[in-house]
Amino acid sequence: MTATDTRPAARPAPPPARRTRARARRQWAPYLFISPFFILFTLFMLVPIGAGIYLSFTDWAGLGTPEFIGTANYTRLFQDESFGASLANTGFYTVCALIVVLPASLMIAQALNARGLKLRDFFRLVYFMPVVLSPIIIALIFGLIFDGEYGLFNAVLEALFGFGGVSWLTDPLWARIVVVVLVLWRWTGFLTIFFLAGLQNIPQELNEAALVDGAGPVRRFFSITIPILHPVTAFIAVTMLVNTAQIFEEPFLLTNGGPGESTLSISMFVYRAAFLRQELGYAAAAGVVMFVIVFALGRLSISAFGVGRNR
Amino acid sequence: MTIDRRQLLRLTAAAGLGTGALASCASPTAGPPLRSGQADLTMWTHDPGYASFFTEAATDAEIVGGSAWTYSVEVASVAADALVTRMITQAVAQRPLPTLAGLELGQFPRMMRADIAENLLVDLTPLTESLGDRLLKTQPYTVDGKVYALESDNSVSVMYYRADEFERLGIPDDVETWEELLDIGAQVAADTGQSIGMVSDGDNTAIVQGFMQFLLQRGGGLFDADGELTVESEESVEVLELMAEGVRTGAFVSLTDPYGSATGAALKDGRLIATVMPNWYKVYGLEANVPDQAGLWRARNIPRFSSGGSISSTMGGTAFGVVKDQVLTDAAVDFLERSYLTPEGQLARYWAGAYLPTLADLYETPEFQDITDPYLGDQRIFETYGAAVEELPGFYQGAGLPVLRDSLGGPILRAQRGEIDAEAALEEGVRAYERQAPR
Repeated sequence: MTATDTRPAARPAPPPARRTRARARRQWAPYLFISPFFILFTLFMLVPIGAGIYLSFTDWAGLGTPEFIGTANYTRLFQDESFGASLANTGFYTVCALIVVLPASLMIAQALNARGLKLRDFFRLVYFMPVVLSPIIIALIFGLIFDGEYGLFNAVLEALFGFGGVSWLTDPLWARIVVVVLVLWRWTGFLTIFFLAGLQNIPQELNEAALVDGAGPVRRFFSITIPILHPVTAFIAVTMLVNTAQIFEEPFLLTNGGPGESTLSISMFVYRAAFLRQELGYAAAAGVVMFVIVFALGRLSISAFGVGRNR
Repeated sequence: MTIDRRQLLRLTAAAGLGTGALASCASPTAGPPLRSGQADLTMWTHDPGYASFFTEAATDAEIVGGSAWTYSVEVASVAADALVTRMITQAVAQRPLPTLAGLELGQFPRMMRADIAENLLVDLTPLTESLGDRLLKTQPYTVDGKVYALESDNSVSVMYYRADEFERLGIPDDVETWEELLDIGAQVAADTGQSIGMVSDGDNTAIVQGFMQFLLQRGGGLFDADGELTVESEESVEVLELMAEGVRTGAFVSLTDPYGSATGAALKDGRLIATVMPNWYKVYGLEANVPDQAGLWRARNIPRFSSGGSISSTMGGTAFGVVKDQVLTDAAVDFLERSYLTPEGQLARYWAGAYLPTLADLYETPEFQDITDPYLGDQRIFETYGAAVEELPGFYQGAGLPVLRDSLGGPILRAQRGEIDAEAALEEGVRAYERQAPR
């Protein structure tokens, strides 16, 4: 028996020029396939960032040629009391978000995760509802609730305790607090979903073992729930911090930065300089400073909370 | 028919190139000026009232009859603040601009910076100059002595009051000075909790607008003709003191937003029985919030300050400008002149949206004098508006107005509440302005 050679007959070798073209095509094909991302990234990220940084060194009202003025915008920015106020307000919102919103979300998630809870889906829906509502509607409703003269909240206070003349939206301190209440109301339900997902992944045996060892609910919460939820908590904390540092909608729609500038945030400061005052160079400088702050805070918090660290 | 991946990619690329090519041909703005014929104007405005007026005016023979152009107007609705932003970005990107743009009074100062108005808009001074003092309210849209937009509505401030409540409470409707009226208002507030005026304690724009309305009446102003700040004045102090006194005694109620729900509630429950506001507030404030009170309201001229000023003021407004160097620029100027600077156009404007004429002498003509207003108990309203127009204070805006609003808002609010005195508030606001205003 003779073995049969089943291999196809060898093709004649292509001419050298065609071979080179084919090799070049094979070499460039991967780059071609990944290029859309890089083109879009360059066009819509790098170029605007570069243009923003360049503009921050110019005086430009939007029309005509930007005039290069060196670091004058930055010098002016650090002497501008309004910018200082917006930094302080944003810091206040961020700290409040971390120390109020985060624990509140965890508490609600813990409650929703309780065994035997009836209407669980209804509660989830209720807590999640603020996230999908239009911010304009929310601001309108909050305006009605917290109006100093005709607001629902003052009416309730008046009915229950006999006082109700608080200027919620027109007193600097109360206005800031109402903005935080709005942030709390709007974002707590959203963050609760993350915590709930984390809680549902905690093995039941751990709790049962702790129960057998005589651990009470508080001990189990701090010794089992909190450590296991650490990655989720870290992710939520970093996200919340970075988002709140760029807060815009809540103070813009509720108080428009007022009274005076007592609820003005950094993002509102940038918007105001660019689109209400036509100082685009100055706005760009504020935007660059905001970017640096948010980036630094993000990196610090990632490091502090150990996000992405192998355990 | 099947399409393979390569054909699909080619088709997509061709479609992209085709769209780009079409888009590049889309601009109708390039080319020599059109001297006659069909002029399809484009307009940007935030107010549907102007949209309907201009659309109808384009085919109204009384307004456009005899023109070398045949008009049509296509309107795009753009928010007042976005309109200026979009005009600038379109101009920078060399994309099509509207032929006519409705510029809200408070947004115009943005165009006073860096020659934006001069670069974008036609100088309308040749149209306004010939009318002299007959044409009112050109100053706020003037930059370096040139008028860049024509006001749509004088926005004449009067005092609207509830005639039935005034009668019940024994408040005379012809009190001559603020000082007298404030005394009466304090007594009414103490007796019934009702107020004869309001001030805003909401955002900076509303606070400063309310202050400016009083200030113009008193004879002061925020800026002079050269755009220099003039707010630190005796008139300003006097106005702030009056506002603070009104709030302290309850004669004035503090409301977040003169157009918002709290004001609606104050009007509905009869807590607010009088307010000084411009003519357009009757439509957008009173009729919108309390249609059931039709016939109960009246308008009178504002009481004077005993130390001076007038019986009149103004607040808000929207002016139309023509974008320069376009094919239809000449046609748009002609159309705007016919619509805005002729008696026929002004009368049509009043009937279209209750916009008050900007030609002063028209207030005395029978066409306007005979108009009665059912909401105001069939009052011959132009008797009141006419008297106000005779003393209408002129005022200028400055490029720094947006900064001034933010600088003054907080201190004025604190002065209104009596937390600081008027002089200190003004000084604080002006110093903040000087630190922030672009050089």
